[in-house]
Amino acid sequence: MSNQKKLLIFLGGTILTIVTLFVLVQIAGVGYFQNISILAGITLIATLGVAILTGYTGLFTIGHAGFMAMGGYLAAILVKEYHVPFILALMGGGIFAGFTSFIIGYPAFRSRLRGDYFAIATLGFAEAIRLLLNNVRAIGPIKLGGSFGYMDIPSLNVLCWEWLGSDGWNGVIVVLLFAVGTLVMTHMFVKSQYGKNCIAVCQDEVAAQMMGVDLMRTKMLALFISAFFAGVAGALMAFYYGYLTPGFFMITRSSDLLAGVVFGGMQSLIGPTITSIVLVAVPEVLRGINEYRLIAYGLFFVIVMIFRPQGLLGYVEMNFDFVRQLWRREPAKATGK
Amino acid sequence: MGIQEPTTNKILELRNLTIDFGGVRAVNDLSLSIAPGEFIGLIGPNGAGKTTVFNLITNAYQATSGDILFEGKSVRGVTPDKICRMGISRTFQNIRLFPHMTVYENVELGLHAQPHYSLFESFVRLPRASRAEREARQKAHELLEMVNLEQHANAVAGSLPYGLQRRLEIARAVAADPKILLLDEPAAGMNEDECNDLVRLIRQIHESKKFTIIMIEHHMAVVMDLCKDHRIYVLTLGSLLTYGGPAEIQSNPQVIKAYLGEKKDGRNKRVS
Repeated sequence: MSNQKKLLIFLGGTILTIVTLFVLVQIAGVGYFQNISILAGITLIATLGVAILTGYTGLFTIGHAGFMAMGGYLAAILVKEYHVPFILALMGGGIFAGFTSFIIGYPAFRSRLRGDYFAIATLGFAEAIRLLLNNVRAIGPIKLGGSFGYMDIPSLNVLCWEWLGSDGWNGVIVVLLFAVGTLVMTHMFVKSQYGKNCIAVCQDEVAAQMMGVDLMRTKMLALFISAFFAGVAGALMAFYYGYLTPGFFMITRSSDLLAGVVFGGMQSLIGPTITSIVLVAVPEVLRGINEYRLIAYGLFFVIVMIFRPQGLLGYVEMNFDFVRQLWRREPAKATGK
Repeated sequence: MGIQEPTTNKILELRNLTIDFGGVRAVNDLSLSIAPGEFIGLIGPNGAGKTTVFNLITNAYQATSGDILFEGKSVRGVTPDKICRMGISRTFQNIRLFPHMTVYENVELGLHAQPHYSLFESFVRLPRASRAEREARQKAHELLEMVNLEQHANAVAGSLPYGLQRRLEIARAVAADPKILLLDEPAAGMNEDECNDLVRLIRQIHESKKFTIIMIEHHMAVVMDLCKDHRIYVLTLGSLLTYGGPAEIQSNPQVIKAYLGEKKDGRNKRVS
């Protein structure tokens, strides 16, 4: 594909996105649009984490809602009970979620669980966490509320900096900043030597090990990072809703994340980015038939697996080199001849 | 160095190595010693256990009994990735590249299975990370030039023709900068011209990098050429039949018998 064509597609896509967004704002109203943006941003952060684990390292997970719960609850406790600054609480929630991933990761990788077996292990882990939260009413003086939910968490609009204004956009800006930051960081990670080790493990575990890649460390690292981002996403969710109940972290949330990666494509960040946003926006816009989305997902899963097993944008990388090449197109063409 | 096994200064020593797969004894009581810088051939009929020996040296399989000493220290029970980082890298009989990675990335992976910067630096791409990547890129391109794959650097590895994939695998194994390089049938499926190119390449690697090389190969011309001043070990049915220089091996009646079978009472008894 020529660079000009790529640029056209890129510009066309951007314009289309902006127009769609504009129309959505007109139809749905500003407040509604803000909410969807925040939800999309949060889901995107968690999905990018799952992309590292599933898309790049090849480990399927249906348990990332569990890590979201761990991060969300911890960050909420830190802010509400101990008045920790917002950013630190987010990081704390992420790191805590990352460490809880070792509980499931170490024994699973030790016993060389892979594929479906690992996915089921993560599912069991997430359900265990949810049921635990369902039944724990309080830890010492902290009233978690069990299945009634953990209430009165300071909300995003209050926590986010005053200078951003309080008309609802400040929450959007903060979440989207985090989402873009996550996208940039995950992009750098998968391009790094660590990321390439993950890809190697995904493509041929035996060859990777023979080339000196420490399987245990690489897998644990991928799991830690994906759990970290899930934790951060969970924390943002806690501050967005202002309360948390274990019901937020059902298996459907995990499968939504996995669906974003499987539809979006293996070894791609741009694919899951697009699909995760679509998968949040579409059910929200079509509220009335929201519950039927799982049926549609199942159908999509089957169709995608038959016609495009690597996902819609599988192995397609974000690449803006063509923009750079366009600037100095003459010399590039001369060498190409 | 030469036709006799070294008694001191061994880089690799196998002592009475044995492995059973259920009732099958794939390698039986194998002992051999190799000095640094040697070019060792490992030959034998199909099913003789040659690749199994490589899998034992790299600890992909755990030996039933016996011991493997690398630079005088036992490496039994050490994980394969650690073995590679200690300095034993290999190629595979059935090519095992990372098919969706580019040619360049395959080689690059061999260079940094242990990343040269911290995880944090990978996320924010500090100068040290960029510098390490730049160095890796340069080294990778040097290696690709060596195996004559420079012009395919950005191709997807799985799309390369077979012969080039073999060369790429060698480049990837060399990238790990090993002390011992294990080549498992590098010339398999190649015609004479390609074999000659390959012999030239492997000799160049041996001479410039000073690796110890152990090579499994069926092409006798390749083995005899490369192991000229060194030893060839002959395995049959998991046991060491004999070892010696190329001329010795070629004229050894036992070896001929193991490869071709023998006539006995008018019946052709196959030993493969």
